[in-house]
Amino acid sequence: MKRLLGVALGILTAIGGFVDIGDLVTNAVVGSRFGVSLVWVVAVGVVGICLFANMSGRVAAVSGRATFEVIRERLGPRAGLANLAASFLINLMTVTAEIGGIALALQLASGVSYMLWIPMAMLAVWLVIWRVKFSIMENVTGLLGLSLVVFAVALFLLKPDWGALAGQAFAPSVPGSEGPAVYWYYAIALFGAAMTPYEVFFFSSGAVEEGWRVKDLIQSRLNVLLGFPLGGFLSVAIAACSAVVLLPAGISVTTLSQVALPVAQAGGQLALAVLILGVVAATFGAALETTLSSGYTLAQFFGWSWGKFRRPARAARFHMAMIVCLLAGVTVLSTGVDPILVTEYSVVFSAIALPLTYLPILIVANDPQYMGEHVNGRVVNILGLLYLVIILTASLAAIPLMVVTGAGA
Amino acid sequence: MILNDLLGSDVRDSDGGRLGEVSDARFALDGTPGQLLSDARLVGIVVSPRTAASFLGYERLGITQPWPVAQLLRWWHRGSFLVLWEDIARMDPDAVYLRPGYAAYEVGLQR
Repeated sequence: MKRLLGVALGILTAIGGFVDIGDLVTNAVVGSRFGVSLVWVVAVGVVGICLFANMSGRVAAVSGRATFEVIRERLGPRAGLANLAASFLINLMTVTAEIGGIALALQLASGVSYMLWIPMAMLAVWLVIWRVKFSIMENVTGLLGLSLVVFAVALFLLKPDWGALAGQAFAPSVPGSEGPAVYWYYAIALFGAAMTPYEVFFFSSGAVEEGWRVKDLIQSRLNVLLGFPLGGFLSVAIAACSAVVLLPAGISVTTLSQVALPVAQAGGQLALAVLILGVVAATFGAALETTLSSGYTLAQFFGWSWGKFRRPARAARFHMAMIVCLLAGVTVLSTGVDPILVTEYSVVFSAIALPLTYLPILIVANDPQYMGEHVNGRVVNILGLLYLVIILTASLAAIPLMVVTGAGA
Repeated sequence: MILNDLLGSDVRDSDGGRLGEVSDARFALDGTPGQLLSDARLVGIVVSPRTAASFLGYERLGITQPWPVAQLLRWWHRGSFLVLWEDIARMDPDAVYLRPGYAAYEVGLQR
């Protein structure tokens, strides 16, 4: 019974933890401009993150090494450092976006400008990282993040033409109002939002934090294989809500309140309250994960002692690095840059950096010196390679498309 | 000298002919026992004729997965060899010079 509860909890946490500010904003923007014609990208992204999260979890459980330790060992000091620089900067951008997201959600709830909420948000994130136990932190934000199910509920209340939606989703085409380059630019953004590298850094380091062994692999596989697709389903619900309400009204999403608009229309104040709770929990949880990821990547590369299972005094550089990252993120936000804009760029840059993270994982998951009998099977390798091709294509196409489309304008 | 100075520098034979670049250094943990590990001893350097870029670990064992990543990397580093420390004549800032009659060993680890 206890084990069953553990599995259920893990799955629920994975669902709630899947959506972050990147998924929220990108799906809403895409829904308001392209309807549900890009839903297939979410599906592709979810399968990809399942595949690689699983792989990195297995590497962590079997070899005891988190992803950036693997990258450092395999790429060597120089290529590893270049990889660290890219991954770290993008992660910092995501931290910035998530803190901005918390502040924007609190603004939506209170009417007080988000600029005033930013210091509070940062302080709260830091306090949780400093004091709260890893598993509690994970479960509370994950479960509260489940409130985002309100998007799915709202979609039902909106009584859309299901046939038309399904037609759009399963026979996707570029809407007449948008060019193909913009369509593909947002396809890459959605892909990047679903497969953000920090998820893998966090997932594998979390496996080490929680002391996973080979026998825990079944449970982790269940969490990933059920939780992430259901989280992806939430992403689709967000896009569909925008597609039903905002697309016909000609509103393209540029603020968080517009993301919430369909839910408010469908379910009124109560639904809006639940939505705000969900957004705060999802962005807060993701802010914790990204901040920790920046600490994890730095510490794992430079060989510092790391982990929340150690007291802060025993992992001083790890905690110091995270404080500096939080301050850096807040400094960026204090310039008045729009957090939604930061989010939109962060998901595209994530897509560009994807091969840096996923190739080393794929290589090490094949190394019997690390993995023993738990090396990748043939099917996983074929899928992994297929995704590597997709990831490389998306990564190479991202910058040219960004230039051609003026970042999706 | 730190390892960073060594990695990527040219490797030449005793006549000054270019053999390749230092792509890795190989250590054995068989020195004085320490608190966690024994001290490391430099066994030799791995010389790759074309590139000093990383092997991503494919030089050690005969791993062939995932296709074609393993095959590509191995092909890129074809002709690489291990030179023992005893066979290194001197390490200049610009290049590593080997002794005449040095022995080139296979880079793979023997089980």
